[in-house]
Amino acid sequence: MEERQYDLIFICRPDTPEADVDKVIATLEHAATEKGGKIETINKWGRRRMAYRVQKLREGYYVYLIVKSSHGEVVKELERRLKVSDSVMKYLTVRLDEELKRQEKLKRHRERRAARRPRKTATATPAPTPGSGEQAAAQA
Amino acid sequence: MADENAPMQAPPSAPSGGMGPSGPGGPRSQGGRPGGPAKRGKRSFVRKKKVCRFCVDKADFIDYKKAEILAPFIQERGKILPRRMTGTCARHQRWLTVAIKRAQNIALLPFAAEL
Repeated sequence: MEERQYDLIFICRPDTPEADVDKVIATLEHAATEKGGKIETINKWGRRRMAYRVQKLREGYYVYLIVKSSHGEVVKELERRLKVSDSVMKYLTVRLDEELKRQEKLKRHRERRAARRPRKTATATPAPTPGSGEQAAAQA
Repeated sequence: MADENAPMQAPPSAPSGGMGPSGPGGPRSQGGRPGGPAKRGKRSFVRKKKVCRFCVDKADFIDYKKAEILAPFIQERGKILPRRMTGTCARHQRWLTVAIKRAQNIALLPFAAEL
């Protein structure tokens, strides 16, 4: 099966020390490799205000990961670990490879069209002139 | 203009012929005249055409992680703004709603305003 790409964001309680966050990330990384996946990017957004209260807290420590794997088992395991861990308040996994593929396709399509455009307008401009000439002749 | 002038000339030229035809002719021309300005009045209300912001930016993908991009497309209370308000094109609105809903799930955007 082809490789899938997922975005995995989780929010830790704001009072968790940095070391604990790193520990959570390490366990996730370990679990992912064990199941045959790979964590590509680790991006700690840090403490930021949440749009609504979660567990009566207004702030959270955001961590953003990009996970690559060829099957869904990896995500299942990662989500299970996140659910078990006490410091994690909330998490979200989004499968993105199909959207990224679509993005690539649209981008290629646009580039091709941009390359073709000058020729297209050149063929389009002579076409209406004979048509309008005929109309003028018919009116006359 | 030519239509208006013709009935005006017609009544003096045919007074002996009878008031019958000229009578309806007058009202008809008058009836036509108010119709014009009324239509023009409606037409003068021209709505400024809104352009899809994502099309202008040539966006192939709307990122749910960028809350500041999505924020202008939700109401104060947290509702997603309809297309007719924002001028977003159908395709981008479709992507936009998905992105907003994802952002809501990870507390980047509110589901509803608090308090």
